[in-house]
Amino acid sequence: MVNVQGPWSPLIGRLSLGAIPDNPIIAGAFLFSAVLGVVILGYLTFGHKWGYLWREWLTTVDHKKIGVMYILIGLVMLFRGFIDAVMMRTQQVLADGPHSPGFLGAAHGYLLPYHFDQIYSAHGTIMILFAATPILVGLMNIIVPLQIGARDMAFPYLNALGLWLTAVGAALIMLSLFLGDFSHAGWVGLTPLTEMAYSPGVGVDYWIWAIQIASVGTTLGAANLIATIIKMRAPGMTWSRLPIFTWTSLSTNIIALTSFPVLGVALGLLGADRYFGTHFFTAGLGGNLMLYADLFWIWGHPEVYFVILPAFGMMSEIIPTFAEKPLFGYATMVAASFAIAGVSWSVWLHHFFTMGAGPSVNTFFSIATMIVGIPTGVKVFNWAFTVYHGRSRFETPMLWAVGALFMLLLGGLTGMMLAMPPINYSVHNSVFVVAHFHTMLMVVIYGIMGAVAYWFPKVFGFKLDEPLGKRFFWFFTAGTIMVFIPMYTSGFMGMTRRLDYIANPALLPFEIAEEIGIGLYVVSVYYFVRQLFVSVRDRASHRVGADAWGSARTLEWLTPSPVPFYNYAVTPRVHARDELVWRREQGLEAATAAHYEDILMPKNTPVPLVIGAFAMTLGFGLVWRIWWLTDASFLGIILTVIARSFVRDTDYVVRAGEVRKIEQGLRGNTPGTGGDGTQGGVGVWRPQESGS
Amino acid sequence: MQARRYDTIARRVGYLARSLVPLSLLFLSGCSAHGLSRQFLLFRPAGPLSAADLRFTILDVAVMLGIIIPTAVMTTYFLLRYRKTRASAAYDPHWSHSNLIEIVVWTIPVLTVALLGYESYKGTYAVNPYDPRMIKTAAPGRAPLAVDVITTDWQWLFIYPQQHIAIANKLVIPRGTPVVFRMTSATVVNDFFIPNLSGMIDVMPGMRTKQVLVADKTGQYKGYSANFSGSGFSWMGFRTHVVSRSGFTRWAQAMEKSPRHLDYAQFNVFAKPTTNTDGKTYAFSQVHARLFDQVIKGVLAGKVYTTRLPPPGAA
Repeated sequence: MVNVQGPWSPLIGRLSLGAIPDNPIIAGAFLFSAVLGVVILGYLTFGHKWGYLWREWLTTVDHKKIGVMYILIGLVMLFRGFIDAVMMRTQQVLADGPHSPGFLGAAHGYLLPYHFDQIYSAHGTIMILFAATPILVGLMNIIVPLQIGARDMAFPYLNALGLWLTAVGAALIMLSLFLGDFSHAGWVGLTPLTEMAYSPGVGVDYWIWAIQIASVGTTLGAANLIATIIKMRAPGMTWSRLPIFTWTSLSTNIIALTSFPVLGVALGLLGADRYFGTHFFTAGLGGNLMLYADLFWIWGHPEVYFVILPAFGMMSEIIPTFAEKPLFGYATMVAASFAIAGVSWSVWLHHFFTMGAGPSVNTFFSIATMIVGIPTGVKVFNWAFTVYHGRSRFETPMLWAVGALFMLLLGGLTGMMLAMPPINYSVHNSVFVVAHFHTMLMVVIYGIMGAVAYWFPKVFGFKLDEPLGKRFFWFFTAGTIMVFIPMYTSGFMGMTRRLDYIANPALLPFEIAEEIGIGLYVVSVYYFVRQLFVSVRDRASHRVGADAWGSARTLEWLTPSPVPFYNYAVTPRVHARDELVWRREQGLEAATAAHYEDILMPKNTPVPLVIGAFAMTLGFGLVWRIWWLTDASFLGIILTVIARSFVRDTDYVVRAGEVRKIEQGLRGNTPGTGGDGTQGGVGVWRPQESGS
Repeated sequence: MQARRYDTIARRVGYLARSLVPLSLLFLSGCSAHGLSRQFLLFRPAGPLSAADLRFTILDVAVMLGIIIPTAVMTTYFLLRYRKTRASAAYDPHWSHSNLIEIVVWTIPVLTVALLGYESYKGTYAVNPYDPRMIKTAAPGRAPLAVDVITTDWQWLFIYPQQHIAIANKLVIPRGTPVVFRMTSATVVNDFFIPNLSGMIDVMPGMRTKQVLVADKTGQYKGYSANFSGSGFSWMGFRTHVVSRSGFTRWAQAMEKSPRHLDYAQFNVFAKPTTNTDGKTYAFSQVHARLFDQVIKGVLAGKVYTTRLPPPGAA
């Protein structure tokens, strides 16, 4: 074991009272979280909601509820990451030039360098791994089984386990705010800065274990989704009829399944350096820091496509629905998705062209990177030709999808610049790059926001408020332009990234513009929260039928909204690529099944939650080097898994009569067109009487 | 009634929000008009290396805009022309395939990537730090000046091994002479960056990277570390003075009289973690000729310049 700086005891490891930060900003954050926590606990206790929470959410294996919880974790972390962004922008606008003022003990601005460095590191780690990733995994979780006509994921129990491991990662990062510190070395954690010699605190350990535990969850989830898509498709759902979002989910999860283990190895070896004193990535004694850069980015670049491919899939679902026309070039879209996924494996070195590789190596990775632009460009053209001769309506999801398309054009321009080493050398570590990858992540965020608005009525049975949603969109877009155009510009002024103090006062106007932009973002967040509140309050007037948009195309819009726990009363038979359109044209949209059958459903189980709790104490013990806790937690996980393997009684049967009753209840409650979307093979379908 | 009033308000706020987009663009163009153009360091190259970087930037942007602007215009036109509220537009609810369009939409990006890929190949070899071709044509036959660069937490040390002098946090080079840098770090990864003169090349512990540049114009240029290296990183700038060749000789002679000397032991004192908040520079004479190699050797043998644990509870 490595000797650590500072005190250590067998009982509490590196913990001490000094681990509690005495910073007023953090105290404020703690107070906010504490009040929020008390309110929630009070509501659960006095509203007698614990039983409901336990039965319906904590022990559930329902893919829709798990998806909703993934998205909730993602939204909470998105908010946290956003607050980090507000703090960074405010620091940079205050700490500009040698005469800038200092507050709260800082020489310039209001954050000490070490604090600022943790904030930007947390921002990157959270936004990629604990905001974008869980929200996307959540959306795939909800939509993919519905799109392919499955009752649940292939492995519902594994699905819940993935959720709770992701939650543990997020919880560890949040805990680092109030106990100890977080990594200061960026979300990449380039060695040897993250080695013991240069990061002696617990911050890097928090970073390692939060990512490590959550990425186990993501890897399991990827295996699950691949198995689901391959094995759980409804009869008639051939590969050439698979909805495009499911295709992109498949390609993206192949990326996840193959790349996340590389991250696990990279962080595992770094952990070995920090805990056992090995020298994999140290500067001397045989270590090689470039090996870390390679391993990290061999995961890191595919991870970029892991988050962007589902966004492409969402755009490909939203645009045809609101253009009231099939997606142009389905086959090329699928080919393009897999081309992007394939090429994503051979471009990682473009993240460190400046590490002094020879020109032949840099040229190879430069051209490989540019090749990504080919399928991406094709996708843009195909979306454009989807709206050609269409009937576009600009409801909120469509606004987000079109916004994502334009972000992609800007990100593509700057991406093709960065792919060229002579240009890359001049902007590699500048804020130009920061603006570029934020533009690309905006494609993801726009896709996500569009998808949330688009599929929200499917999950909850009512639409999000349109006027507020549009305001959210426009303020968000204005904020994006206001923050990132000045950021691109200051990149050309030679401004480097990750600065807690800006030596060049000429950058001040741009910092002010970015601060205004972040203010617009704050307004947009207000409208987002208000939109959620108003929509829930007025849900009675926002109710929708099975096809919430009146022009939806794919299978998931066939079953009632909100989707009953068994998804489809009778497993549907698929006849066309755009199944709902096909049925609409055949006059079968409002048909009901002639008879129902018993349904086998997976039982709730608390085991994933228990394993998650052990994973939490395991992570905590590892961060603070409390070895008895680590050993006990690890043993707990092993024993729980063994005990679960003896449980045979994991499913239950929903009787046909019960299904009939539920379906009739849903039909009674859903007004509007297509409200009675029960399903069945075409043989047992009968058109419903008109006027009923 | 209530609903209508709400609608009106919603529409007004909607207009306001939409007008913010063009307004924000206006604001930005206003910013750049204020004589800031001199501050766009990347657009003001002072040597062939950075000039090449800029040339390729312009080429790349021009080619890409040639595609992206028509695409954006076409998409916008389609969206507006074929909107639902414009009933007279053609509507074809089943059209989703055209071989001709497919061929065209694959051909355009393939040709673009072929062109830019070829340019990238040329450019990468042209500015290759180990053999930059433009230096040879920019300063033919001139004997290069060697400068060894060592970064510490968080300072720059520039050693002139031929002159046996060194200076910290300031770089002085003669105009019109190729300068050959050998770079290493005593601690963590940094990134050598002088926007007007040279792009970024990483400075790594236990390793040696190279950069070569020629400065065409005398003057003062800002230099940075571009890769985050710890809490003193933001102050890790250095000034680059490009002086005439005779001026450089005079400066080097003056430096030889500096009272401070530098060998490996003294370097280890210098390399203690220091945040250079007031931009101090230090001059050294009688610098050990093999100091650069000694620092690399030391790091390879496991020498670290340990950072202190941050004060308890430092956020």
